[in-house]
Amino acid sequence: MATDSSSVGADFLRAVLQGAPPGAVYALVALGFVLTYQTSGVFNLAFGAQAYVSAAMYFKARLIWGWPTVWAVLLSVVVLAPLVGLTLEVLIFKHLRSASAVSKLVVAIGLAVALPNLFDIIASFKPASGVTPVGVVPGGADVFYSVFGLYRFSRNELVDMGVALVAVIGLGAVFRFSPIGLRMRAVVESARMTELNGIAASRVAAFSWALSSLFAGVAGVLIAPRFNTLGSSDFFSLMVVAIAAAAVGSLASLPLALAGGLGLGIVIAELNTFLPRWGTDSAWVRTVQDNLTPSVPFLVLFAVLALVPGIRRVQGAGDPLAGVEPPPTARAGRPDPRRALAMRLLGAVVVIGGGVVVLTRGDQLWVYQVTQAVVIAIIFLSVTVITGTGGQISLCQGAFAAIGACTVYQLAVRYDMSVLVAMLLGGLVAAAVGAILSLPVRRLGGIWTAIATLAFAYFFDAVMIKLSWVGGGAASLLRGTAVPRPTLGPWDLSHEKAFLVFAAVVLAVVAAAVVALRSGTFGRSLIALRGSEVGAQSIGISAARTRLTAFAVSAFIAGLGGGLLAISQRDVNYGANFTPFAALFWTVLVVALGSRSVPGALIAAAAFALFEPLVLDGAVVGWLTRERHPLPSLFPIDGKWLFILFGLAAIQFARHPEGLVEYGLSGRSRPARPDRPRGRRSPNTDSAAAGDAAASDQRPAMRGNRS
Amino acid sequence: MKDVLRAAGITKRFAGIVALDDVSLRIGEGERVGLIGPNGAGKTTLFNCLLGVLAADGGTVEVAGRDVSRLRAHRRARLGVGRTFQRIELFPETSVRDHLLIAERVRRGTGRLWKDLLGLGRPTAEETRRCDEVLELLGLVELADAPVERLSLGQGRLVEVGRALMTRPAMLLLDEPSSGLDRAETMALATTLREVQREQGFAILLVEHDVELVTSFTTRSYVLDFGRLIAEGPTGEVMASDAVRAAYLGTYAPPESATARTATTTRTATTTGTATTTGTATTTGTGTATTTEEEAR
Amino acid sequence: MTSALEFDDVHAGYGPFRALFGVSLSVAPGEAVALVGSNGAGKTTVARVASGLVRPTAGAVSVGGVAMTGARPYRFAQAGVAHAVEGRSVFATLSVEENLTLSFRRVRGRAGVRGGLDQAYESFPALARRRHQRAGNLSGGEQRMLSMARVMVEVPAVLIADELSLGLAPKIVAELYDDLSRLRAAGTALLVVEQLVGHALELCDRVAVLDHGSVSWTGSSSDARGILAAGGLMGAGLAGVGPTGQAPLDHEKAGL
Repeated sequence: MATDSSSVGADFLRAVLQGAPPGAVYALVALGFVLTYQTSGVFNLAFGAQAYVSAAMYFKARLIWGWPTVWAVLLSVVVLAPLVGLTLEVLIFKHLRSASAVSKLVVAIGLAVALPNLFDIIASFKPASGVTPVGVVPGGADVFYSVFGLYRFSRNELVDMGVALVAVIGLGAVFRFSPIGLRMRAVVESARMTELNGIAASRVAAFSWALSSLFAGVAGVLIAPRFNTLGSSDFFSLMVVAIAAAAVGSLASLPLALAGGLGLGIVIAELNTFLPRWGTDSAWVRTVQDNLTPSVPFLVLFAVLALVPGIRRVQGAGDPLAGVEPPPTARAGRPDPRRALAMRLLGAVVVIGGGVVVLTRGDQLWVYQVTQAVVIAIIFLSVTVITGTGGQISLCQGAFAAIGACTVYQLAVRYDMSVLVAMLLGGLVAAAVGAILSLPVRRLGGIWTAIATLAFAYFFDAVMIKLSWVGGGAASLLRGTAVPRPTLGPWDLSHEKAFLVFAAVVLAVVAAAVVALRSGTFGRSLIALRGSEVGAQSIGISAARTRLTAFAVSAFIAGLGGGLLAISQRDVNYGANFTPFAALFWTVLVVALGSRSVPGALIAAAAFALFEPLVLDGAVVGWLTRERHPLPSLFPIDGKWLFILFGLAAIQFARHPEGLVEYGLSGRSRPARPDRPRGRRSPNTDSAAAGDAAASDQRPAMRGNRS
Repeated sequence: MKDVLRAAGITKRFAGIVALDDVSLRIGEGERVGLIGPNGAGKTTLFNCLLGVLAADGGTVEVAGRDVSRLRAHRRARLGVGRTFQRIELFPETSVRDHLLIAERVRRGTGRLWKDLLGLGRPTAEETRRCDEVLELLGLVELADAPVERLSLGQGRLVEVGRALMTRPAMLLLDEPSSGLDRAETMALATTLREVQREQGFAILLVEHDVELVTSFTTRSYVLDFGRLIAEGPTGEVMASDAVRAAYLGTYAPPESATARTATTTRTATTTGTATTTGTATTTGTGTATTTEEEAR
Repeated sequence: MTSALEFDDVHAGYGPFRALFGVSLSVAPGEAVALVGSNGAGKTTVARVASGLVRPTAGAVSVGGVAMTGARPYRFAQAGVAHAVEGRSVFATLSVEENLTLSFRRVRGRAGVRGGLDQAYESFPALARRRHQRAGNLSGGEQRMLSMARVMVEVPAVLIADELSLGLAPKIVAELYDDLSRLRAAGTALLVVEQLVGHALELCDRVAVLDHGSVSWTGSSSDARGILAAGGLMGAGLAGVGPTGQAPLDHEKAGL
């Protein structure tokens, strides 16, 4: 068996070599994460979008305009990429320097969606399917170099690995030893304190963004040839793998991020090499083999979260001068009660009026659209619980909803169970998954919750949904996932209008439950925990248990809504409804419009389901002008504008974390304060608690800023 | 006297540096005890070890005779260890009353998810009544419905105290309650605290830099330096002891003679060893240097 | 003589919260002025306006006779204003040496950094021993020492010291005040915001009492001490000095 063992050794080595190039690609993106996080404090999920923009520009210059490589690189990488970075800094991140890491993350997600679409519109670029992007290296994909006769590296692959290695050394040197590196780190901790040292923080930050964007551009043109078609979603999925690599270095270490990237590439290559040998005999090993590879990033990320104790400390030190910022007025001010009542009445009129109109006059399409809005609203309420009340950003609500939908499908089709019972069970299954998922992240919080849930969403997308006992496997692909409509007593819910009424009732029940939860022990504990974890602990609230419950409740609601969505569409329709990217969209939309309140979720759902048919297709304008045909030539507006609007919504979130709805409701009420101090107080006002009314205006206790 | 808190042999290391070395202390029922020491002496670390925010590497902590060394912070809180924070830790976007109500609910332990779902999770009349009692006690009635963002620092501290009181603590750990307050505010807080403490009878452990406050407020004190106890005993004697003056007070003189201070200090306290003073300055006696202008009033 | 720092009828605040109402104040080169007052009177806001962290909504600020109203904080720093902010005033994520380097590099250039570091470590041996530690891991006293080391080596024209004594043991406070008087001897104008009135009075030539966002009294330290002694207000802070009218105080702005 000597020959066998030597071939195992050779195969092992070959897999190492084979895994290095993709590993280098993961590492490039992971380095980008670490670089941006360390130089600007943003966990930049828009890194992939920035890379896409440069890659697309290069593609357009090379293949459509026919420019020579050098000029195309100059334009796309050297000019465009830093320009994008500078624009982002000046227009957006400059104003968010004191915002929380989570707020910045949401903004980055918005940009991740908006940037590629914006570029496509401005440059009138259409990702051409089937046209493989060309690399920057002449003959990059055609010239090979053999290593020990085991594996032949293409020129592109060698360049990728070389650039990753050079980047680690070069960026590391800049970061650790150069004055600008020191300044960049200082600005990340506190821009104001850096200024007190006589350094113009805005210039340093602009340089940071230009640098990290340049790197994104480099990564973009290097990575593009790996994809068959140039599309921004591929860059996004790549980022999810790279997150795991960056987490290996705790988002802080460039060499560890490189090692993480290479390690991931190599592990995946090894698994692909060896698992098939053992997997030929038994079916379950085959299943494992098929699914293990895409799971590796997820498993690695969760291992890091669970096992690396230092990851908690990566959050960094707060800005000691944050108190200089004006306090958030909208939150300190109470909504004007009359205004709130008026808004409530208006809301009721809109809901009832709209309901009546749709039920009596609406055609089939409109009933369908409104039903979708109602069902989506249920799912959106899950965001109200986890993000609005719990303060945690979860990016896998789509996976929870999909679990609910698949449970309905499985139970109804396989076991012929009532879909309504199955819907409830679907919620429970999702709740169980949510509870388990919360275990590693419930003590970490912050951006780690977002990262871990995003990884889970992609794990579900890549692995779980393909299993036959989840998504139905090949059978469902061929025949679709037929989900029946139930009958409820005398009402046949296969009738669309009856179903709409039913969905509205479910929504009302869930909304009432969310409101009740928030005013009860659970909600109050969660709000306390969101405000101050140590404060909540000091009165006996268990952070771990409360967060676990929050995840479970939120997942239950999402699962319930997902089940109902499947019933309403008579199909699970995973690809159209529940993909990670779609769910990302949900979360950001809800938090942008208002995750603190039930109306916020309802409006977000209405916007989500009805914006396109009403506004983009011109239905409202058509109705207003009474000229259904022809619509103004403007319509239908390019659907991509939807994504750009979405990006704008995400950006404003960071400034108004309470959401647009609540922000509008509060009327930006300003706390009343006399312009001049009222009289002189007696010095013998012995109680600080009783006196000091005027002084308290100047120093909200929460921010600890005193004057 | 029964001890409400007893810590024995607490040791804590950070990356090889010994932050606490075999520290033992006890606090009797209804006692007011001070904990002082220079910066970096380990006061905060000890405080966190007592509360369970940090896990000690060695030693035991007992609350009312029960070993709580392995319990997390929130479990110890439920057993009657209340606290306030140096940097105020309130819950934003909620009212003063909300702070007290959730604390009361957690203490009762009657909250259930299904009750919340049925709308039974709202505060009961009994809970509201008890909350109003504490608000009254602390003079916070008029601020009951104010969002905490609108409070001054001193008022915020009082809310923290109120929140802790709702848990019916056997002892209250106060982490530098004077920090950020001016003298008038500090004295007002001390007065209120003492009244409440007399009424409710819980014990207090006060971690403070404000020497006057410690002197006037506590009957007994512990002094930490370099992670070790260098003195304990009646506060007045501890403050007067040579070891404490050397390690902590320096040439600090009581306020009335502050102007007579000469600038001859040497920069040693935080860096050089204190081998000379370790654990030898335990004083005895019955001196009670606790009368203050407040009590005289 | 041009004053090192001058406020002329400065109004300022945080968004809708207004904190200062027409503060006028001046500090001459080499002079030390104590800014006292009750909590919430606006002391920290004055300090922040003086270093550019908060922009005045009305009025004018000048440094060394040069108008600085509305300038960014780094302009103030380049004009010679150093601000030791309340609480932590060092970069917690940077090492001790990096904290110092950040300051020295701008003023002295690449070549001068080494000399500055040596000088700092010589005056503060404790820092030398911890030079590669993260500043966030230092004790409160050592962090103060670090921020003082920066200004002791690179002597500023104006130093704003905001609550230097906050949370520090008496012994360390005394050391810090020794540093301040040394700085003053070197010609730095000091604006000292302090709760511990005793220390401040001893160090400073003049005292300005801030009450509800405006200066309610100014005078020499000895006058202030006399009033305090007469009113017995040492224990209660200075909250009442101005408004009580216990002492014959005039509100004239002479010298301010």
